Amino acid sequence: MSPFGANRILWRVLALAAVPLLVVFLPKAFNDYFNYRLAFVGIYFIAIVGLNVLTGYNGQISLGHGAFMAIGAYTTAILNVNYGVGIYWTIPVAGILTGAFGFLFGLPALRLSGVYLALATFSLATSIPLVAKRFEGFTGGGQGKTIALPSSPIGGLSTNEWLSYLTWAIAGLMFGVAWLVLRGQLGRAFRAVRDAPIAAVSSGVSLARYKTLAFGIAAAYAGVAGALLAIAIAFVNPDTFPVSLSILLLTGAVVGGLGSLEGMLFGAVFIQFAPSWAEHLSEHLHYNEATVQSTVFYGLILLAVLFLMPGGAAGLIHQLGNGLKRLRKWRYSRADSRATA
Amino acid sequence: MRRLVVALGVVAIGAAVALPGAMGGSTATPGVTAKIVSIGGTFPFSGPASSYAPIPVGMQAYFSYVNAKKTNGKRGVFGRQIKFNAVDDGYNPALTVQKTKQLVEQDHVFALVGGLGTEPQEAVTAYANQQKVPQIYVSTGATEWGARDKHEEHPWTVGWQPDYQAEAAIYGRYIAKNLPNAKIGIIYQNDSYGRDYINGLEAGLGSHKSQIASQQGFEVTDTSVTNQVIALRRAGVDTLMIFGTPTPTIRTYATMAAVGWKPQNIFLNSVSATDTFMGIAVARAGAAEVNGSISTYYTKDPANPSWANDAGMKLYKSIMAKYAPANAKVTDGLYIYGMAKAYTFVQALKAAGPNPTRAGLMKAVLNMNDKSNPFLLPGVVTKTGKTDFFPISQQQLIRFNNGTWSPMGQLTDTRPRG
Repeated sequence: MSPFGANRILWRVLALAAVPLLVVFLPKAFNDYFNYRLAFVGIYFIAIVGLNVLTGYNGQISLGHGAFMAIGAYTTAILNVNYGVGIYWTIPVAGILTGAFGFLFGLPALRLSGVYLALATFSLATSIPLVAKRFEGFTGGGQGKTIALPSSPIGGLSTNEWLSYLTWAIAGLMFGVAWLVLRGQLGRAFRAVRDAPIAAVSSGVSLARYKTLAFGIAAAYAGVAGALLAIAIAFVNPDTFPVSLSILLLTGAVVGGLGSLEGMLFGAVFIQFAPSWAEHLSEHLHYNEATVQSTVFYGLILLAVLFLMPGGAAGLIHQLGNGLKRLRKWRYSRADSRATA
Repeated sequence: MRRLVVALGVVAIGAAVALPGAMGGSTATPGVTAKIVSIGGTFPFSGPASSYAPIPVGMQAYFSYVNAKKTNGKRGVFGRQIKFNAVDDGYNPALTVQKTKQLVEQDHVFALVGGLGTEPQEAVTAYANQQKVPQIYVSTGATEWGARDKHEEHPWTVGWQPDYQAEAAIYGRYIAKNLPNAKIGIIYQNDSYGRDYINGLEAGLGSHKSQIASQQGFEVTDTSVTNQVIALRRAGVDTLMIFGTPTPTIRTYATMAAVGWKPQNIFLNSVSATDTFMGIAVARAGAAEVNGSISTYYTKDPANPSWANDAGMKLYKSIMAKYAPANAKVTDGLYIYGMAKAYTFVQALKAAGPNPTRAGLMKAVLNMNDKSNPFLLPGVVTKTGKTDFFPISQQQLIRFNNGTWSPMGQLTDTRPRG
C-alpha cells in the first residue's frame, strides 16, 4: 500500500472521529438556541439516512416520508399522553411500529416502481394527516396533542443542549446500524435489486423480501425521527406534517447525495438551515415581501446546489478527491517527463 | 494529519473561549433598551393560512407610524422604537415552536404579540408561560384564550378579539328574539373552531335550541360540501349557520348557488366575512345568493364608504398609504384588524410605564379600560379585569348587501362571562 493510501484511511478515521467531537463541542460554542437547531439537524439526519437506504441504495422513491415521521410522532404523543408511557421509552416503540407499518406498506408498493411508486407514497403523505384528524378521541384531531415540555434530566445541561445530545446520540447509533447493514450481505442485495433486478432474481435474491425490508427500515428510521420531533416541539397535530415535509426530506437526501450515508449530514444541515439562509438573503436585499422572496431564493440556492454538485455533497467530495488524485498524477508525470528530458 | 489535529485543537479552544461569551450580556428586561422595545410573533406568510398575512402587515404599519410620531418631544413609546419581528411559521406548529424559541432565546424579544392560529399558538403556550414571556393578543378567537379556568393555566397568555362562542351566542339570541319559528341548520368545520361556534349558538338560543333541525360537519381539508348542503336543504332548513374558515365558507355559497338553494336567513362567522372573502363569494356564487347574509364585526369596515369622513378611518388610510407596501389592499379588513390590535398593544406598553417589565406589561394588559381605539367601532371598549380576560367583548350585527356590510341595531355586549 502506498503511503498515500494509508494516509487516506487515517483521514477517514479522523474525519469520523471529528463528528462526535463536533457534536460534543458545537453546543458549547454557540448560543443556546443554536443547540435546538442542531437537534433538528439530527432529527432530519436520522430521517434521511433511512430514506437513503430506500431511495439511494434500494432505488425506490418515497415522497411520503413525512407520513412515516407523523406515525412515529403520534406514537410518542399517544403513548405518552394517553397511556403515561415515559417519553424516552416511546422512541424505540415508535421506530418498531412505524417500521412495521412501512413493511406492510411495502407489500402493495411492490407492484409499483418509479414514478408510480412515488405517487403511491405521495398519497400517504396527503392521507396520514387526514386520518389523524378523524379519530379525535385517540389522536386529538385537528387540535392535536400537547406533550409536557422537554427538560434536561442531567444537571448543568440546558434543555436545548440535552435535546441536541439526545438526538445526536441516537443519530450516531442509527447511522452505525445503517452503515453495518449496508456494507454486508443485505446492502449488497439492496444494491443488486436497485441496479439489476433480473440478475438479482436469477442469483436467488428475492425482490419482494428486500424491497419490503428496505421500506421497513426506512420507515423505522423516520418513525424514530418523528418521535424525536414530537419530543422536541412538545406538540403534534396534522399541520405539523404537511406534504412539503416529505418533499423537503427527499430534497435533503438528494442534496446530500443519494447512495452516500455521510452525505446525509450535509443534506440535514441543508434542510434545517437553507430556508433561513434564503430569508437572510432576501432581508439583505431589502425586499418588501420577504417571505415570497425567500422561497424564490430557496429555489435558487437549491438549483445552484444541484447544478454545482449533481451528485450531492457526497458526489462533490468524491469529485474533489478524484481531482486531487489527477492533480498528483499530473505532477508526478510532469516530474517524470522532466527527469527523462 | 498533524494539521487536522491542530485544527481540531483550535476548534476545541475556540469553543472553550466562546462558551462564557455566549452566556453573558443579559439585561434586566429582555428586549428593552433605552432606544428599542423588541417584540415578535409568528404568522402564516406562507402555507394554507397565508390569506391572513395582512394582519402582521397592518400591525407593522401602525408601529412604523408610532415610531415616527413625536409624543412629548420623543418618538415611539417613551422614546423607544418598537421593533416588530414578524416571522413566518407557515401555520406549521413545528415551525411555530422553533421560531418562537428563536424569538425568545436568540432575539430576546420583550413579548410575543399577535401570534396567529389556534393550534400553532397552543403549541407554544406552555413554553411562553414556562419562560414567563407575555404571549398576548393572539390572533385567534378560540374561547380558551380568555376562559377563566384556562387563564389560571396560562397567566401569561391572553387573546384580543371577541371569542367564537360569544359571537355565536349573539346569533343565537338574535334568532330567539327575531326569528322564533326558524328551522335552523348548521354547516360547520369539524374541529374545535366549528364546535366553539355550535356551543355558543346553543347557549344563545336557550330554549329555542330544539329548533336546530340539522347539523352537517365537514373537514377543513374536504374539497366538497355538496352532500352537506343537500342534506340541509332536504331537512327543510330556512335559517342557515355557516361556521367555517373562509375557503369552505366560500365553497358553501358556491355549492348552494349551484344546487339552486337559498335559505331565507344566512348567518356566517365574522372570520370569513371580510370584504375580500365576501368579494370572492359574490364572484363564485353571485350577488343574489350572498345578499342578506348576517354576520358581526367590531372593527370599522374600510370597505364601507359610510366611514369615509370618520377620523379613525382617515388615520387608518393615511397610515396605510405611508407605511404599508404599495400592493396592500386598503379595503381588506385584515389590515385594520392588525392595526387595531397594534393600537391596543401600544396602549398597554404605555400603561406599563417608562421602565416596562414583562410582569408590568401583563398587569397593564389584564387591567385595561381603553375607549380610545380609533379603528374599532364607536363604543367598543377594550377592557379586562380580575375575572374578565376577553379584551374585546362588544360586537355589532351586520347585514351584507351588494358589496357592503351595514349595521343592524345596537352594539351587543357579551359581558359578563362565566
